[in-house]
This record gives sequence, structure tokens and C-alpha cells, in this order.
Amino acid sequence: MTLVPHELDVRPILHDGGEPFSVILQAVGQLGPEQALRLLSTFEPVPLYAVLAKKGFDHAAREIGGGDWEVMFTPSFAVAGTGQNELAQPAPDSSSPHGWPEPSRHQDNRDLAPPEPMVRALAALEELRPGETMSVLLRREPVFLFPELGKRGHEWRGGFEADGKTYRLLVRKAIGKEEAA
Amino acid sequence: MNGVSLSRWTMSYFTAALLALLGTEVLMVAGFGFPSHGIQAPETLVLVHLVAVGWLSILMCGALNQFVPVLVARPLVHPELPVVALALLISGLACLLVGFLRMAGYPVGALPWLPLGAVGLTAGFALTIWNLGRTMWTARPIGLPAWFVVAGLVSLAGVISLGTIFSLALGGWTTNSTLMRLTSAGIPFHAALGLGGWLTFTAMGVSYRLLAMFMLAPEEEHRTSRIALLTGSASILVLLVGGPLCLLILERSATHPLVISLALATVSLAFYGYDIIRLYRTRRRQRIELNARMAAWALGGLGLATILLLVVTISGEIDRRIGAVAFLLAFGWLTGLGLAKLYKIVAFLTWLECYGELLGRRPTPRVQDLVDEPRALPWFWLYFGCVGAASIAALLDGSLAFQIAALGMLVATAAICKQFISIRTLGSVPASMLPDDAVARLRLFLPILQQSRR
Repeated sequence: MTLVPHELDVRPILHDGGEPFSVILQAVGQLGPEQALRLLSTFEPVPLYAVLAKKGFDHAAREIGGGDWEVMFTPSFAVAGTGQNELAQPAPDSSSPHGWPEPSRHQDNRDLAPPEPMVRALAALEELRPGETMSVLLRREPVFLFPELGKRGHEWRGGFEADGKTYRLLVRKAIGKEEAA
Repeated sequence: MNGVSLSRWTMSYFTAALLALLGTEVLMVAGFGFPSHGIQAPETLVLVHLVAVGWLSILMCGALNQFVPVLVARPLVHPELPVVALALLISGLACLLVGFLRMAGYPVGALPWLPLGAVGLTAGFALTIWNLGRTMWTARPIGLPAWFVVAGLVSLAGVISLGTIFSLALGGWTTNSTLMRLTSAGIPFHAALGLGGWLTFTAMGVSYRLLAMFMLAPEEEHRTSRIALLTGSASILVLLVGGPLCLLILERSATHPLVISLALATVSLAFYGYDIIRLYRTRRRQRIELNARMAAWALGGLGLATILLLVVTISGEIDRRIGAVAFLLAFGWLTGLGLAKLYKIVAFLTWLECYGELLGRRPTPRVQDLVDEPRALPWFWLYFGCVGAASIAALLDGSLAFQIAALGMLVATAAICKQFISIRTLGSVPASMLPDDAVARLRLFLPILQQSRR
């Protein structure tokens, strides 16, 4: 028997400037076997896809108007454990500098209030392996993030897209001793 | 793609500015200056310059040293200059105030206080304009909010030029007829360029970005914003060029350029108001923080002051009522906005200083965890309520009522300053979240921790 999907609306948390990540993980932990999670958010929670893919969930996202998103996470035993999901695929429009690997992680932080985009990017970087890269979408040039990346020995490239509304940042995690500097 | 560091001296600017604000309010409570004294009395000049230079201009310079690099995504060209500028501004202001006290008959010694004050202030502001101007020049092309700052700095250059001329004339260092004529008839230009062109126009530009950022509102450049910039800049230009032209070359009264400038400024403010209402309406963050809620009251103060200025101009009452209008502009709009935005900026800068290097590596508090909004809110209400009462008292020439309302403002400001100290010393942060080597108490007005110490 398939259970009714559990619905979680994190829009109020996001509107208040909060971080819904722990609430989402808690909800996922309480799902019944084969139960899906219907998540309502103010932006497409792209970073969540990789996290929940590792926990064995497929996702299907759609915009529901007003900039809000509905994402259905359904258990998928085929995906679990393979370490493969679409986020591991090279993004078609990411332009990695010569010699950099394709991003192993993507973050869309465009709809977060400052300084949350910076906090999330730094947290995600800690989870990368040395030399791996991550791409981050932002609303503006992250001028306070750069000094922190520099202190940690990470390298980065970035620039505005043609429409001037999205800043695409590519960070390569420090290799070896650089980070301790 | 340059990073922006924390401006090392911004917190020192803020501390000096807040002390000047508290000092101003103490003087108002004591009945020193307007409205107990006349609008051009030396006592009022002390009060006006303490609030306009000591509080508002030093606050603005400190904020711009930190914020212009963010606006243009370039570090300050001379990061070491702000401390020199601050020292010059404080000493220049002190001399200027002593000079005014001497004019009021206080026994303060016979040094040439006013010219000394002008030297200090001109040097301090010139260094600031140079530093910010060069920083923006390296970042060309610059965006719309930065253009407001450029116009504001041009206006500031006009204010200090006129101020220097006044101080030389009043200090007895010149009897040049042209400079004497400017001194006797140029005060409205000095005041309009200062409160309007420099402080208000710069605050408008900065607010476009800050409000959009913290309320998650779309940050597109609209035609209305460009009209606000163009008409506002034209208004400043009319004051800068039209004033001296009428007074010195055409030898006519200063009324025409002032009226034309006011008309242009009103158009600019109307479009700005439209833009800001759109920002609040299109925001994606429904429950906004204290800083944005209180900024709305300050913006209301600006709207009210503008309407009042138009009414007293049209009714020919401007000479009698300009004090009350300037009061509402300085305390309802500029001070209200300043205190509201400080509440966010102090928290953000402190958070970044203390936790920047720890982000992602251990649990860290959010910026909002450094503040205690329910505790701060009543004091902001008290502040705005008392500004309203004091404005009415000033309009109706009620000196005692004004002093009582000023006492309320003083209490509220002191309580808000206590909140800033609590933010600065991480008073609301749970012990488990404190950084390991916080020496916050020792560094109230300097950056809390040196990055190299961790």
C-alpha cells in the first residue's frame, strides 16, 4: 500500500529568514516506508536533491506560481547507492577553467537573504573533497565571500550571466596544505 | 572579482557618531539652541553642526567606507585613510563648535576656532571624497545606487566649500565683499546641500540597495529610479551653480534657484517614494526584520517633511517654520533611518568579524541571533513617537513640550545604543555558540577580533 505523501511547507521558515534544512531532514527521517515527501518552497531547492538522492529519493520539481516550487521526493531504490544523479552530470552551461574538474555540486542561492548564500556555500565546500569544484548561483557578486574563500586556500572564478541578474560562481576546493594556511 | 574586507574603522565612526547624537539630544533637553533660541543663534549653530556633522555626516562617511566597496565590488583604494579622516573630522568639528560657543559669548579663549574647524572638516571630508571617489572610479561603469552616492559627494564638496567661506568670514579672516555676500545670503544653500544633497540623496541611493537586499525584493533598475537620480542631481546642480550665479553675478536674491531646486527635489522624491513602495510591495520576504520596518517609518518622516516643506514654502511661512521642517528631516528621516540600519549593519559586521572564519566548520549563530528585536522594538517606537511630538512642538513654538519630547528621544536613543553594545558584545548569543577567543568587551568600537589571531 502506498502512503499519502507527507506535506512540508517551508515557505514560512524561508520568509522569516530561517534555515529549513534541519526541518526537512527531520521530516524525511519520519517518513514511512515508500512514503513520499511533498515539499513546498520559495525557490527550487536544488542543493537538497543531492542530499536526498543519497538517502534514496528521486525528485520531481515544478514551479507553482508566485516563484514558489513544489518538489515531490519519492523513494527510489534504483538510485540509492549508485552515487549518480543528474547533479553529478556536467551542467551544460558551466564553463570550468582549464584543468578544473566539472562541478560535483551545484547550489542555487539566488533567493536567500544575505548572508545565507555565503553561509551555505561555505558549509557545502567543507563537504567537498580537495580539488573538487562547486558551482553557485547568486543574485550579486559575493564580495564578502571572496576573502573567506581566499583564507581557506580555495580558488574561484565568477561573473554575471548575460542578463545581469545571476552571478555564476565556480569554486575549487583547496588541495592539501593550502587550506590550513 | 574582488573581495571586500571589513572596513577597520567603521565601528569607530559609528561610535563617534552615536556619541554626537546623544550629545545633541542632551543639549535639546537642556533647552540649548532651537527652538529656545533663534534659528540662526550661535547656540542653534552648535546644535545643528553637532547633529549634521557629528552624528549624520560621520555616520554616513563610516557607512560609505564600508558600503561603497560593496556597491561597486571593489575594495577601498586607500583602506588606511578613514582613520585619518575621522581624526580630522572630530577635531575639526570640536574647533567649529568651540568657535560657535565663542560667538555666543562663552569664554573659550581667543584661538581662531572657526577657521581651524573649517581646516579640519575640509581636510577630513576631502580625504573621504577622494578615497570613495577613486574607489568608484576604478569600478567604472557603476550602477544606479553608486551614482546617487557620487551626486551626494559632489553636494558635500559644495557644503564644505560654503562652510569654509562662512568660517573665514565669521572668523574675521577675510573681508572680501564676494565672500561676505555669500556668507550673508548663502546659508540656505549650505543647509539644502547638506541636509538634502549630501545626506538625503546619498541615503536614498544606499537605501535602494539595502532595502532590496534585506527584503529579497527585485533589484532591477527602473526608469523611475533613473528619473529620481536625474532630477535629484539637477536639483543639486541648481543649488551649486544657480546660488552663486544669482548672488554674485546677477546680484539678485537667492529665491529663484532655491525654488527651482525644491521643485526638482520634489519630483525626485516622488519617484523615489514610488520606487520604495514598489520595493516593499514586491518583496519576497513577508515578515521583514526590524531594520526594514523602522526604515518604513523613517521614509514616512521623509514624505511628511517634504510635504511640510512645500506647504510652508507656498504659504510664505518658510522663515518661521524651516526649523521644524529641518528637525523632522534630520531626526524623523535621517536619524530614524540611521538607527534602523545601524541595528542591522552592526549585527552583520560583528557576525562577520566573529564567525567569518568559522562558517561551515562548526555551528555558528545567524546574524539574527545577535539581536533581540522584541527588546529593541519598543525603544524605536518611543523614538519615533517622540520625534513626532517634538516636531509638532517645534511647529507650534512650544519650547517646553519640545524639551520633554527630546527627553523621550534621548532615553530611546540611549536604550537603542545599549542594544548596539549588546550586539557588539554578543550578549544575545548562547554561550555554546560564542567564538573561542572572543574579547568583545575590549573592542566595542574597533573590530572585535583581528583575523590573524584565530
